[in-house]
Amino acid sequence: MKRTILKENNLKELLTNDVNYFAIDSSLKEVDIPSNSSINLLITKPHQELTINVKENASLFLSLLVKENIDGGKLNINVSENAKVEVYFADFSFGKETYIFNGQLLGRDSSLNWHLASLTADNDQKQFDISVKHLANSTFAKMDNYGVCKDDGKLVFSGISHVINGASSSKTHQNAKIMVFDEKSIGIAKPILKIDENDVEASHAAVVGKINDEHLFYLTSRGLSESAAKELITLGYLKPILNGFMEEEIKEEIMSLIERRM
Amino acid sequence: MATLIIKDLHAEVEGKEILKGVNLTVNEGETIALLGPNGHGKSTLLNVIMGHPKYKVTQGSVTYDGVDILSKTTDERAKMGLFLAMQNPSEVPGVINSDFLRAAVNARNEKPISTYNFYKLLDKATKDVKMPFDLATRSLNEGFSGGEKKRNEILQMVMLNPHIAMLDEIDSGLDVDAIQIVADVIKQEQEKGMGFFVISHYARLYDLIHPSRAIVMINGKVVIDGDPSTIKRIDQEGYEFIKTELGIEIAKEEANMNTVSIGTCAVKEIIK
Repeated sequence: MKRTILKENNLKELLTNDVNYFAIDSSLKEVDIPSNSSINLLITKPHQELTINVKENASLFLSLLVKENIDGGKLNINVSENAKVEVYFADFSFGKETYIFNGQLLGRDSSLNWHLASLTADNDQKQFDISVKHLANSTFAKMDNYGVCKDDGKLVFSGISHVINGASSSKTHQNAKIMVFDEKSIGIAKPILKIDENDVEASHAAVVGKINDEHLFYLTSRGLSESAAKELITLGYLKPILNGFMEEEIKEEIMSLIERRM
Repeated sequence: MATLIIKDLHAEVEGKEILKGVNLTVNEGETIALLGPNGHGKSTLLNVIMGHPKYKVTQGSVTYDGVDILSKTTDERAKMGLFLAMQNPSEVPGVINSDFLRAAVNARNEKPISTYNFYKLLDKATKDVKMPFDLATRSLNEGFSGGEKKRNEILQMVMLNPHIAMLDEIDSGLDVDAIQIVADVIKQEQEKGMGFFVISHYARLYDLIHPSRAIVMINGKVVIDGDPSTIKRIDQEGYEFIKTELGIEIAKEEANMNTVSIGTCAVKEIIK
């Protein structure tokens, strides 16, 4: 797949049938996804603050890979009527950071699927504040936050799903899972549902814990050493994020990042 | 021939003693039927042999091929040739069945198996157990039906080729056709010399695989170790004859529920 570098907010002019995969330059502050278009975006350096406006009937597939030491970043996505957004965020950065995501479902029948996989190790301290606001009827949001926390790292997922009064027939779901490897590592999952409307479907799940003993026994009973079994289970935890990346080279890069940091 | 020898084995779970002095010898190449009422230690015995962390051995020994296996880790026991097909195989999200199988096969080999040879092996095994090949490329047991999970256990057994395979209620959740498939695979492995230690509540599977011995466990001990005719008798009469002929009281599972329901009733009385 051939990627085109996006330096200005001029997707509308660049877009053709063959050109629909773009990497965003880190200096950009705002990107408009034109109506009725179908776009794949890649971000490999987080922005201090980036706002993406997804116009009516558009579909956006956003792949986000962070692998360096960063201070954090902020991403806003505004979703208009009948537009669909899918975000895959692979976080293998190190250091102290707070990453903020604000999703706004502005138009009816808009939807947002958010997937995050974060590896926190070596005294990293990471916080992810992820919020989605439903401002129109029949909107849909699903948030999946997966984390692995080891070597005295600290990982916090705070998820807020807000359905305003009047955004009826909306559905909002949150799912947070953190696997904690050692005694000093800290994993915190804070799912929050703010519902100001009666006619909604909402759910949240949060799990923080160590590797399931039954899973470990199952794998070791087939001859895998405990460390090999743990590695396989952890890979299984983070690997589904690969589905969010189109390029084989990037998939391989993520795999080697996981292996190196495990 | 490697032999599994269990002597005076005592084991507990969460402080409660389940195995209360098991003595048993399993020879390689034998097929043993392991019978007994629920809660009398059959599954516990198999899990203790495999080294499940939930069970604590308090007394006795288990040796395999002359080696004390209780001091070995679970993966070492597996590599010595023991295999346990689980009663409730875990669903492990994200771990791809074939990646897991390949890691398990490689754990036994000095050199990693080539991709070609692995897929040849996997292809044959999936055909043996009549499992769709795509199940091998999915997450381990995730979203599998009960029958698919059990077939996946047999698939793993075929691929790992143990000396003694312990099957914990492999036939529960299987329909008649699937039981036949599993029995055919067991017969095929019996001919190659694999030994079996099989828990089942139904005579159907035993009829198909012809055990050479039947063991009955009551109250955490082996009370009958004899010829397979016992299977038929238990299938027809239940376990009552053990009490009448051998004079062994069969302990009932503790009914903790009673205290709870009395408590609830008492509360209702107070409200009136």
